Amino acid sequence: MAENSSTELSFKKETVSKLLTLFFREERTRVSADAALLMTEMLYVFVEEAAQRTMKQAESEDCDKMDIEHFEKILPQLLLDF
Amino acid sequence: MSTTTDEEERQLQRLKAAIHHTVGRLCQSLGENHQMEFSRPVIAAITETTFRQCDVFAKDLEAFARHAKRSTVSMEDVKLAARRSTALYNFIQSKSEEIASANQEQRDKKKSGVKRKNKDTEAEAME
Repeated sequence: MAENSSTELSFKKETVSKLLTLFFREERTRVSADAALLMTEMLYVFVEEAAQRTMKQAESEDCDKMDIEHFEKILPQLLLDF
Repeated sequence: MSTTTDEEERQLQRLKAAIHHTVGRLCQSLGENHQMEFSRPVIAAITETTFRQCDVFAKDLEAFARHAKRSTVSMEDVKLAARRSTALYNFIQSKSEEIASANQEQRDKKKSGVKRKNKDTEAEAME
């Protein structure tokens, strides 16, 4: 797979796989390796989107430090989009 | 989650710490590119949101797999979890194709590797 510089910063497959397994209701549910890898991409997009939107919000208020109020403003739409 | 044991709880805390680490690095690199800074509470809040979103994703994926009468979550289930946004769906679709073709390549490599090995041993036997 073509690993670009952004995915180097991404989550580890093992972390995501363990996390999903712990969250499952039934113990016998498993995650395939491919699915875990695809989920790391998904979570990467989620975090990236959260950070970018927070930054945009702070910029529109002419702040150069992102604070919790900026994140709070973008949170509802972020959750609706995923 | 009322049924989690102490051990599970500890494991979840460790995984949350791992997420926090990754979110922190991601935000830092993004902030550096734009000469802006993410405050620590923002990073903690993004971590918490990602953690809970992961819980939601996990329960969705499990339900999708069960609906397809499987007990293993596959890439198809992940694609279904990304259905709400077209851009996200397209991105996940292209990534899944990338992963599938990478797997295929590896399988081909392994196969040709085995063949070569067989030829080697055959050649050795001839000698």
